[in-house]
Amino acid sequence: MWRSVLDYLHLAVAYMRINIRAQLEYRGAFFSQIAAMFINDGVWVVFWMFFFTRFPVLHGWNLKDVLSLWAITTAGYGLAYGVMGNAHRRLAPAIVQGELDLWLLHPRAVLPHLLLGSTIPSAWGDALFGYVVYLGFIRPDAARAMMFVALSVVVAVVFVGLGVMTGSLSFYVGNASTLSDQWRDTSITFATYPPTLFEGKVKLLLFTLIPAGFISYLPVEALRSLSIANLFVAFTGALAVLAAGVAMFYHGLRRYESGNLISING
Amino acid sequence: MKQAEKYLWIGCTAARSNLAYAGEVIYRSTFIAVILYIFMRLWTVVYAGAGSQRIGGLTRPQMLWYLVITEAILMSTPRVAAEVDDDVRTGRLAVHLIRPLSYVCGHLSRAMGDRVVRFGINLAVGAVIAFILVGPIPMSLPGLAMFLAVLPAAFLLDFLGMFLIGLCAFWLESTSGLVLIYSRAVMMFGGMFLPLEIYPAAMQPALRVLPFASMVSAPGRMFVNPSFRHFGEAIVIQGCAVVVFAIVVAMVQSIALKRLFANGG
Repeated sequence: MWRSVLDYLHLAVAYMRINIRAQLEYRGAFFSQIAAMFINDGVWVVFWMFFFTRFPVLHGWNLKDVLSLWAITTAGYGLAYGVMGNAHRRLAPAIVQGELDLWLLHPRAVLPHLLLGSTIPSAWGDALFGYVVYLGFIRPDAARAMMFVALSVVVAVVFVGLGVMTGSLSFYVGNASTLSDQWRDTSITFATYPPTLFEGKVKLLLFTLIPAGFISYLPVEALRSLSIANLFVAFTGALAVLAAGVAMFYHGLRRYESGNLISING
Repeated sequence: MKQAEKYLWIGCTAARSNLAYAGEVIYRSTFIAVILYIFMRLWTVVYAGAGSQRIGGLTRPQMLWYLVITEAILMSTPRVAAEVDDDVRTGRLAVHLIRPLSYVCGHLSRAMGDRVVRFGINLAVGAVIAFILVGPIPMSLPGLAMFLAVLPAAFLLDFLGMFLIGLCAFWLESTSGLVLIYSRAVMMFGGMFLPLEIYPAAMQPALRVLPFASMVSAPGRMFVNPSFRHFGEAIVIQGCAVVVFAIVVAMVQSIALKRLFANGG
């Protein structure tokens, strides 16, 4: 089993190298997108800085907590879609347009190849932003810094699972591109606001249908309390979201109809 | 007159083609419900903590309705920069230039037709959500008239800003990064989420004279809490900003067109 995991890690590294090289063919565009996303995320942090200057505490949350929330969300998002770019917005239209044929011909499992097939350049800006903000502004001790790195991988797993889950809707409802985008964007939007704003049934929703709880609320709680138990819960939640996505994809794949497209992955 | 009719017709066609996909536009605009719900919760907590009826001169319902307007404006932004970028990159610009139409005015008409429909639908969806969440706010006819007076200039200014970014495709490999930064500047300095009165006092005078406030905050403010003083200020700033933006667009376009090489085929 470990050998298989190592094989797939090597595959991921190989794909990453190819994807980054492809992007570097247009290095001006690549770096400008990274910089723009870094600035974009920075604008949101500035918004919260203004907000907390005027209203210093929000139901027990302060600026540092919200910065942690943004750092973990952006770092996880960046890792997920930087490495597995096709889990972002590509999956739903690819299924509808019958573009999976190319990936079905590969000798290994379809999903890893498909997800690793491209990178989202701006996602690297998100990842960079997350680490810079957490390590530069929060200035954590060594234990929290290590936990942040581990949690960013956990959050990336949630994002990949969410991307696969939302994208796989196209197997069931036809062109689900808009629905898929709305579902993912809703999860991200909820994940970037303090969880103390929400209560009751909405909170339940945020740990099930809209997994914002696993994207940021649990990871931030784990960072605040430096609790291994919370880290374990966040990790279990991430695996559950990923498992749900993978199950939806392979169940839906049985309904897939070829588009008879001739395409080259270049 | 004939010229104006031509551009009016382009605008109407763009609006009609958007209406043909009204279902899709309504579906997309449901995301506004998520934003409004989150902000309703955020401001409910803030107002409860502040122990005050008004923050930045607005009550809680006014704050949410302000957000309905600013969100509807931002979410209806047409893809002008991407279209101009595409025209430049594919060489389609050369085809546009031989048509008996001004390239800028053609885009402007299309963008306005597009935007009016999208804004209307976003506003309708947002208004329903705000009505459910916080109920109605007091409004007046003069206030509504002031809102309708500042709105077209806000759209025009935004168009000129986006068009300018699109023209940067003559020099840059990709303008998508610039579009992202521009849209965030409009959100942040335009007062999309926070009315300008909530920003630090030292920043407010500068924010008021920046064109971003004329695009977002001015219409929002006129809708929820209009005053003749703010209206006068908004009109003057919008007028100056439109003139400056139009001059810059004309200059950049004339420089850019000198770099245009068209090959037959």
